[in-house]
Amino acid sequence: MSSFRKALKSQQRNHHERSQPGFRKTVGLLEKKKDYKLRAVDYHKKQNTLSALRKKALEKNPDEFYFKMISSKLEDGVHVMKKTEEEVTEEQKNVMRTQDMRYVEMKRVAEAKKIERLKGELHLLDAENKQKNKHTFFVDSNKKVETFNLASHLGTHPKLVDRVYNRPTLQTLETKSIKGSVKPNIINKLAKQRKHQYKILSQRIDREKKMFVISQKIQTRKDLQDKNKKVKVKKETPDRAAIYKFESKRKR
Amino acid sequence: MRPGFSPRGDRGGRGGGRGGFRGGFGDRGGRGGRGGGFRSPDGGGFRGRGGGRGTPRGRGGRGGRGGGRGGLGGGKRVLIEPHRHEGVFICRGKEDALVTKNMVMGESVYGEKRMSVEEGEAKIEYRAWNPFRSKLAAAILGGIDKIHIKPGAKVMYLGAASGTTVSHVSDIVGPEGLVYAVEFSHRSGRDLLNVAKKRTNIIPIIEDARHPHKYRMLVGMVDVIFADVAQPDQTRIVALNAHNFLKNGGHFVISIKANCIDSTAAPEAVFASEVKKMSAENMKPQEQLTLEPYERDHAVVVGIYRPPPKQKK
Repeated sequence: MSSFRKALKSQQRNHHERSQPGFRKTVGLLEKKKDYKLRAVDYHKKQNTLSALRKKALEKNPDEFYFKMISSKLEDGVHVMKKTEEEVTEEQKNVMRTQDMRYVEMKRVAEAKKIERLKGELHLLDAENKQKNKHTFFVDSNKKVETFNLASHLGTHPKLVDRVYNRPTLQTLETKSIKGSVKPNIINKLAKQRKHQYKILSQRIDREKKMFVISQKIQTRKDLQDKNKKVKVKKETPDRAAIYKFESKRKR
Repeated sequence: MRPGFSPRGDRGGRGGGRGGFRGGFGDRGGRGGRGGGFRSPDGGGFRGRGGGRGTPRGRGGRGGRGGGRGGLGGGKRVLIEPHRHEGVFICRGKEDALVTKNMVMGESVYGEKRMSVEEGEAKIEYRAWNPFRSKLAAAILGGIDKIHIKPGAKVMYLGAASGTTVSHVSDIVGPEGLVYAVEFSHRSGRDLLNVAKKRTNIIPIIEDARHPHKYRMLVGMVDVIFADVAQPDQTRIVALNAHNFLKNGGHFVISIKANCIDSTAAPEAVFASEVKKMSAENMKPQEQLTLEPYERDHAVVVGIYRPPPKQKK
């Protein structure tokens, strides 16, 4: 039956929306529900805003104060900050930063050189908790692996095996002797001095590290000044400058 | 640049040798009746810097400091302990250092510290050997079993660079020994020549170690080959030289920097593959040692070339 209904529909007259009758043409187009709705929503919005503003004006605190009230002014209906006279120009700031950085860098390099010099004579011979190295011996057979004895392989005294920096062979122990100052009191004194030297070295290394961080931080602060786009990747910490990712930009 | 006990490598050139700073107490500004005020730690600020990087060229820019005797005076304040390896010593004074006996008295090669000890009449001078700069020194302090470099030995040194380690090797082998120092770069070769001028047992060869036939007329048979060339085909280079110059049953000492061979593989794997390559070249490795804490991802491999056949019992 549906096909019959459809056939009927083809005969029907199309529905047309009512338009403005001819005798009312002077009043313009006939307003439809859609148009009315738009107009009404707009009207109520405005009314609500007005009433809200009116309410706000009524409830206003006469003592209310913000610094923006005196530091800004109206220009063409827009609030604009009043200009203050700069004490230090941006350029001057930049120069100051550069010089700060150069100074820190200079000091750091001086420190690094001193460290280098100290390291030249302090070789961490029996420093505690230094990084362990790995010593591998290649032997011919599995049998030898099982019977491997470090002291006899190295030909040294078993008590000297842990003294990695110098494990004299038994022959050396018999034939050679220690030269120089061998009095116990002097040896003690020297050990004390040596300890002090190591302390100085470690202090210098710490200081150099700190200065490295400082110069990095100043540099980052300086880099932030330009107008390039950048995104912070990592936060600043006491031992690291913040890390930013800059938009790549071709320089010519 | 990371400071600290980190191994060398990333640090730029270090100013020319400022040898023999006296003592270590200079770092307290305004000491000793200088009328107060700040003085730069090393006396007079940064004078004498920038005078050419690398090794010192003579004593030129050094504001009349005369000979500059190394370290503490008198030789009373150090203790020299003989080392497992002949020709190497440990100095324990205010400094804590690996040293070799200085063959050229009163001269520093690269601004290293010198200490002298009086023995009866004679005065013996020692030079500090910095393990942070020399892989061989790092291996010695790491407790390597044998370096095979000993007084009287003939050594071929591949990758001699400026001759800092070479000078110590020349100290060890002494006047009876010989060091053939091979270096390709002309720039560091120049410094090497200057070292060789003072030390008669060094024969500098400025040539590519990949082509041993180019210097075969200069070199006789050697007992040991030491290689620190940091090239991906390092083992091949050493093998080439070994085939040409190393005696049967001679030894090789190779320092391997894992990064230079393969920067993506794990260091241990790199060392293992290098050791395998050596075996293929008739070079039998005997021991391997990593160089912590002085160097990162470095190893030294010591072995024997064409070992004598095993005795059957």
